[in-house]
Amino acid sequence: MLKIDGVSAKYGKYLSIKDINIDVVEGEIVVLLGANGAGKSTTFKTISGLLKATSGKILFNDVPIHQTAPEKIVQMGIVQCAEDRKLFPYMNVEQNLMMGGYIHRKRKAQLKQSLNDVFELFPILYEKRNEAAGLLSGGQQQMLAIGRAYMAKPKLMLLDEPSIGLAPLIVEQMFESIKNINQEGTTILLAEQNAFAALSIAKKGYVFENGQIALQGTADELLSNQEVRKAYIGA
Amino acid sequence: MELLMQQLFNGLTIGSVYALVALGLTLVYGILHIPNFAHGALYMVGGYITLIMMTEAGLHYILAMVVSICVVGLLSVLMERLVFYPLRHSPPIQDKVAAIGILLFLEALAQFIWGADYRQMSTPFGQVVEVFGLTLTLQRILIVFAAIAVMILLYWFLKKTFTGRTIIAMAQNREGAQLVGINTHKVAILTFFIAGALAAIGASLTSPINLVFPGMGHLVILKAFVIIIIGGMGSIPGAILGGYILGFTESLGATYLSADYKDIIAFVLLILILSIKPQGIFSKGGV
Repeated sequence: MLKIDGVSAKYGKYLSIKDINIDVVEGEIVVLLGANGAGKSTTFKTISGLLKATSGKILFNDVPIHQTAPEKIVQMGIVQCAEDRKLFPYMNVEQNLMMGGYIHRKRKAQLKQSLNDVFELFPILYEKRNEAAGLLSGGQQQMLAIGRAYMAKPKLMLLDEPSIGLAPLIVEQMFESIKNINQEGTTILLAEQNAFAALSIAKKGYVFENGQIALQGTADELLSNQEVRKAYIGA
Repeated sequence: MELLMQQLFNGLTIGSVYALVALGLTLVYGILHIPNFAHGALYMVGGYITLIMMTEAGLHYILAMVVSICVVGLLSVLMERLVFYPLRHSPPIQDKVAAIGILLFLEALAQFIWGADYRQMSTPFGQVVEVFGLTLTLQRILIVFAAIAVMILLYWFLKKTFTGRTIIAMAQNREGAQLVGINTHKVAILTFFIAGALAAIGASLTSPINLVFPGMGHLVILKAFVIIIIGGMGSIPGAILGGYILGFTESLGATYLSADYKDIIAFVLLILILSIKPQGIFSKGGV
């Protein structure tokens, strides 16, 4: 479904990715592991078109998208839920979600249905639907960010560190929700530092180090890999 | 009492125009993240186009205003495409310098084409009417009602339509807007058009009671800055409220303090508010 073929990109002065190759098959959950600054978010920015690849190709269902504008990529069905969430802080929860469905703005009935689905997935968002997004707790903001991405009905959802800064109990719920979204048919590319939780719901993973892919394999292979265990699981 | 009522109505008139100009400035602030100094020049061009359409083309005042709205809206878009868009990755100081450059260029151009004279604009709404014991010209009533109608329309557009909300979304988080599939270039163009149109409406409404000249945008744009600083940069209710606060303060100040100090009041107000509530009355926000 998504094929990243030898992509390099540069973000700011110090962050860059080199010769990245990733293959995501439809229906899978694929995990990108790595420390801060290893290149996960830069890879996501490049897929979403916020950053242009300096070399290499990105194919989405065999269509090249590495020269495509960000809004076109969203319309094609790749939606990112960014690490810093990028919500609209002064809009309320419901308005944020509705903006998430911007590309389906002509289909009012579908938007309403999606909105209900999000509220079902995250009931707390329904309770807070009239509150400004900027006033929510970190966990609620993360749910809102995922909910907003869900509203676009993506074929492929990019989730950048959804568990960052959240309490363990919330993290568990978060991964449960991600699993649900996947089971409904959305392919997921998930960047995480919480390797154990991420690999336990994923099919395969890639380990980033210094902007390059250092290791790749199925979830089981990575979970039993000594270096992965040492670096990310603490065992 | 009658004097007070008369002055309150004057405040409402001036405040309406200030609010229109400040709204355009605050909307564009959401895109550029700097105050667009060239906005005053758009206001000035708006006054001239309406005047020229009436005197040279013989159009009716309202029709001339419509032409002016389109021309200034397009001029504003042209400004975005030719100057601000190519500068989008540059540091903010370059936008500021460019904006001042456009302001000076357009003023010089206006002076070159239309001369430096102060010119009067006629209006078909010059009649004097008496309402609740107040003597008012129809033009002033038109200013108030037209401005309020435009503001309500704008508020509805920004709040209730998807297209309008993209402007708010982009102001609050540009990358977030891109990630939900909004074409931010189109939003920038739309915003600049609306800002230009608002400046043209403001200038065309107020010109028959003021004068049209190349420097007519100076004081208005300085006051619009004061207003969006008072109201909070980028805040839409802040721009409206700030416009009326300034309008009322000025007209009451002119009557009860001294007419000579009318224009100082805005800046005294600015210093006061900046020292008491530096983030503005409505700190940064959307609708």
